[in-house]
Amino acid sequence: MRKYQRSRHTALFSLALIGTLLTIIAGCSRSESENVTVSGSSTVLPVISRAAEEYSQNNPGVRVVVNAGGSGVGITQLGEGQTDIGMISRDISASEKAKFPDAGFTTHVIGRDAVVPVVSSEIYDAGVSALTIDQIAAIYRGQITNWQAVGGPDTEILVIDKEASRGTRQVFMAVVLGDENAEAPGAKLVLGSNNEEQTALTQSNAAIGMLSQAWLNDDVKGLAIITADGSTIEPDLASIRAGEYPIARDLLLVSRSDLSEPSKAFIEFVLSAEGQQLVENAGYIKVTP
Amino acid sequence: MNLPRLYIAGSAAFAAVMVVLVFMVLMMSSWGAISSEGLGLFTHKWHPAGGEFGVLPMIFGSAAVTLIALTIATPLGLLAAIFTSELLNPAWRAPVKSALEILAGIPSIIYGLIGVAFFSIWIGNLFDLQSGRTILTAGILLAIMILPTIITLCDDALHNVPQKYRESATGLGLYKYEVVRDVLLPIAKTDITGAILLALGRALGETMAVMLVIGSIDRVPDPFFNVLEAGQSITSKLGREIAESSFGSVHFSALIFMSLILVAITVSLTSFTQYYFRREKRLVE
Repeated sequence: MRKYQRSRHTALFSLALIGTLLTIIAGCSRSESENVTVSGSSTVLPVISRAAEEYSQNNPGVRVVVNAGGSGVGITQLGEGQTDIGMISRDISASEKAKFPDAGFTTHVIGRDAVVPVVSSEIYDAGVSALTIDQIAAIYRGQITNWQAVGGPDTEILVIDKEASRGTRQVFMAVVLGDENAEAPGAKLVLGSNNEEQTALTQSNAAIGMLSQAWLNDDVKGLAIITADGSTIEPDLASIRAGEYPIARDLLLVSRSDLSEPSKAFIEFVLSAEGQQLVENAGYIKVTP
Repeated sequence: MNLPRLYIAGSAAFAAVMVVLVFMVLMMSSWGAISSEGLGLFTHKWHPAGGEFGVLPMIFGSAAVTLIALTIATPLGLLAAIFTSELLNPAWRAPVKSALEILAGIPSIIYGLIGVAFFSIWIGNLFDLQSGRTILTAGILLAIMILPTIITLCDDALHNVPQKYRESATGLGLYKYEVVRDVLLPIAKTDITGAILLALGRALGETMAVMLVIGSIDRVPDPFFNVLEAGQSITSKLGREIAESSFGSVHFSALIFMSLILVAITVSLTSFTQYYFRREKRLVE
């Protein structure tokens, strides 16, 4: 008899526990309708996560959740309906449009940026501060493997590539190797986000990689590009604004045709004067004057 | 049948069904790649944009890091277990073991961060490399990660050998090392193998820590035993690419095919060793 009672208590307790859990889950999913999820490019991420913070402060009740992963991930998740807004740092490719014909992608330009070939500070300080596109291409093809060949010290080049789906890589490769999906046989490491790439460049003293210009600092220095007529273009905001720097791109938010009201309002916020100020603070060029 | 028994039987059935389901889902999802690429899957070149899906570099990478990890961790772990079980003052055994078990419970991303921030730099300096992100770095990091598992399970294995065997062996005049080598280890070998298998499973399946330090380049080093070069394991490949491949594409399917290989390796190793160390071969029950 006692045993029976105990098992009944256990059963009651389990029921109460399950009930509590269900209530919590139901509560979560109810508030989810006011969530805006954004995911994709780690280049656009700093702007959008700041914007998300500001926006949530001004609009209590709306939660904006921002995730990185790269432009390719952003588009895939948007196409599959796993996120409300995608962030990309390159154009949507034809194959992506073909993959999700029903999504009805709309792009919103929120800023401009340049992809800059970057080198370890040791190499920059040793005299390699500008290269031609052909020289960079030869390095990524594995034809130039020593910094001496381009006027640097006698050390082997650590060529750092990025994951194929990264917008930064596709913009860079389209200009440097002429094909956004080009392979880089000279590469010795393949990394992902801007952060990861920046860390590896800082840790090495003979590396070359590619970064958004907003990620340059004293340890990772951006190379100027030597043009065909012999002049050099510095990777600074002035040359990007003037459209002179050869590896430039738009930063975009992408939405689907079934865009929710809160998501739409968030995109409008990023394009407002306040939002554009955040774009500038993150080191990019704003699109509205 | 009463409720508790039903519950136990149900849990067991659930686990069994899960295993079958995992296999079925993996097979179904990887069929697209198998049917369209066929033997093209077993080549050296991975370039999804160009329609090339060679998985050999990843299989090599997984095998290499796991082999390195086990080669380092097995002898160290076994010796440490002999120490904690046989030589250490029994009063100290519990605290030492709980410390080890805490070590086994540290999330792998923590190991990965330590690996990127310090360990890979040390390896780079030690071998005078351009980059410390190598297959060897990943292997050693994995060895550190699986060491606590091996130690604590081997310690249990040795500790579970009944006291009478030690007493009889000592009574026959055997030295302590002879007792361990000729009596305890042979008796405990099934459980020790089990410990190593569990560690192997963790090493093969570890994603985050490996992904951060292996260098992620889809290439078999040249020559292949040069583990001081960057590589790619199946799990690090999946970790980096699964989110960008769209469900149902050949790319996605080829990635799932790799995970099917991973599961197949673990299952065949487990069944092989379980057959080899069958129950009737055990000395104690």
